[in-house]
Amino acid sequence: MVIKVENLVKRYDGLIALDHFSLEVREGEIFGLLGPNGSGKTTAINCILSLLKYDKGTIEVYGRPMTPDAYDIKRNIGIIMQNVAVFDELTVYENIDYFCGLYIPDRKKRKELVEEAIDFVELNKFRNFLPKKLSGGLLRRLNIACGIAHKPSLIILDEPTVAVDPQSRKKILEGIKELNKNGATVVYTSHYMEEVEEICTRIAIMDKGKVIALGTKDELKGMIHSGEKVTIEIFDYSSNILEEVRSIPHIITAEYTDNLLVARFSKGKNNLGVLLDYLRSRQIETGRIYSEPPTLNDVFLEITGKELRDYAKGVQ
Amino acid sequence: MQVYKAFFRIIQKNLLQIIIYVFVFLAVSISLTIAGVNPVQTEFTQTKISMAFFDYDNSSLSLGLKNHLAKTGRMADLADEAESIQDALFFREIEYALRVPQGFAEALMSGEEAYIEKISVPASVSEVYLDNAVNKYLNTARIYISNTEGLSQEELADYIAADMEKSAKVEVNREIEELTLSQKAGNHYNYMAYSLFAVLILGVSSVMLVFQSQDLKNRNLCSPITLRNMNFQLILGNISYAVLAWMVMNLPSIFMFGSFMFTAKGLLLMANSLIFTMAALSISFLISILVTSPGAVSAAANVVSLGSSFISGVFVPQELLSDTVLRISSFTPAYWYVKSNNDIAGMGEVTAMSRAPIFNNMLIILGFAAASFTIALVITKQRRIKKQ
Repeated sequence: MVIKVENLVKRYDGLIALDHFSLEVREGEIFGLLGPNGSGKTTAINCILSLLKYDKGTIEVYGRPMTPDAYDIKRNIGIIMQNVAVFDELTVYENIDYFCGLYIPDRKKRKELVEEAIDFVELNKFRNFLPKKLSGGLLRRLNIACGIAHKPSLIILDEPTVAVDPQSRKKILEGIKELNKNGATVVYTSHYMEEVEEICTRIAIMDKGKVIALGTKDELKGMIHSGEKVTIEIFDYSSNILEEVRSIPHIITAEYTDNLLVARFSKGKNNLGVLLDYLRSRQIETGRIYSEPPTLNDVFLEITGKELRDYAKGVQ
Repeated sequence: MQVYKAFFRIIQKNLLQIIIYVFVFLAVSISLTIAGVNPVQTEFTQTKISMAFFDYDNSSLSLGLKNHLAKTGRMADLADEAESIQDALFFREIEYALRVPQGFAEALMSGEEAYIEKISVPASVSEVYLDNAVNKYLNTARIYISNTEGLSQEELADYIAADMEKSAKVEVNREIEELTLSQKAGNHYNYMAYSLFAVLILGVSSVMLVFQSQDLKNRNLCSPITLRNMNFQLILGNISYAVLAWMVMNLPSIFMFGSFMFTAKGLLLMANSLIFTMAALSISFLISILVTSPGAVSAAANVVSLGSSFISGVFVPQELLSDTVLRISSFTPAYWYVKSNNDIAGMGEVTAMSRAPIFNNMLIILGFAAASFTIALVITKQRRIKKQ
């Protein structure tokens, strides 16, 4: 086990940030910590890294208790925090060299590692640039390079793609997968469920300082009652259609807005076929048809009654 | 030594601002030194005193006395009337009036008591000065009369006139020259207080502000470098920077004052500035903990350095500052630093006794350094506990 957290409790002036929070991260996995803002993800990471004191519970990293002076453990960890933490006064190369130098004293070896990190995040052209000359995406890549240059076996990324353009986000996610392929265990926190779904092998969903669901994405989706969501474009809509659609077996909800009929099904076979058969039988003309499997948002919605996506939109 | 290296890279980025402060100091100090301006320097210019001389004797001796006094006085044309003499004295048209009565020379030559009358501005410097000149003339006459037989009035007047012409050759001795040099050096070191303060606050705060940013701090805390090692490198960086700044500030004084800087007084001035550098460093460290933005760093550098310099006698001599101002400024290290500089500059000879107050002042300055550093550490610890 790379990380083992048991019954962690952290309070801020009476407010519970972590409420008996527990998790285990296995070697070689990309572990996702998914939850809305304020759910306790960053607090959990800060406690794991010994940046925060906690009120109760235990934290072990590589089988040993994690404390502020556990320097041997820290040597194996790379961190990429939510906010870009680099020196504005140092160039791209100097920044990576500085942080790598905190772990690797040997100058020759460090030079090689810094070059590798620059190549990895594709910042070669910008190596002599000061951070303020970099775009938001490039800055995030520099932030990552500073965290991984020393080749840690455990990489903790706390929302590394906040306010990043889609192209840079894609590169960052690909990079994380590659780091994992090269042997690093990754802990990835985000409120973007698509990212977590795309790269994480196991996911813990957090809300109000607790892990409310844990498993692979399929296991999580298997926990809920919802099946697919079907969207059908309808041009000749009449009000009684909706009532009849809602009475079709397995349909949980059905709504019609802007020429689109959106129906959510519970798990079952041939749900789409049954709906289309009904529409044909009523000779209703249809346009585009989409069918989407349940998402982690559906999982969060079903467990908490709130939309995870709404939180994400709120911060963008 | 990653932290140490990063410290100086950040300093390098603020170098232009730092150089401006050093340049301003050197420009002010060098130009004032070359111009020879010294706020406490005393100058001597010979002036002539206006006087009236009423000669009712008309003898060779009275004429000789008049000629002798004319060398140091300016003879005014005035009627010998009590009212006009009093008016002239009141309006300072004259400061001294001398009346030689008839028979004065004869009485003097025969060894009888000879009188001359004077009216002057009471208790004035010119009165003493002209009294001395008259006495000098008459005493010389008496010496000749009592020691030379058969001397005529004309011969006596000639002898006295010849004697009065004689002057002693005066050479400016080395002690006086050194006093001027040490005063110049003292002033130079006084001005240094302002620049040292500004340069240290600016440099130290700029670097500490970066290292105290929460995100960078967290990243450093997650690394395997021990907190003790990191603090050691930061403190070493601060001390290196302070010593470097002190050396840069002291180097021109060696060019300006040459071998004087290697005399006891020169070395005391340098030691005093080094002690002050340590206090300024500690205060800069405290300020760096209190300020939260680069803008605040510039403001603090100006307010603290200029403020303490003005009230401590860096730009205006302490003698000209009021007691209240001096009492307030005694709560700053700059006051004790300037006080020591003035004491060193005004010292005739460096002895164990004359050194003692300087060392006492140095201890007080070190006390400021220790107090500021302690307060900074307490604040840091309190904040760390609060954050966790």
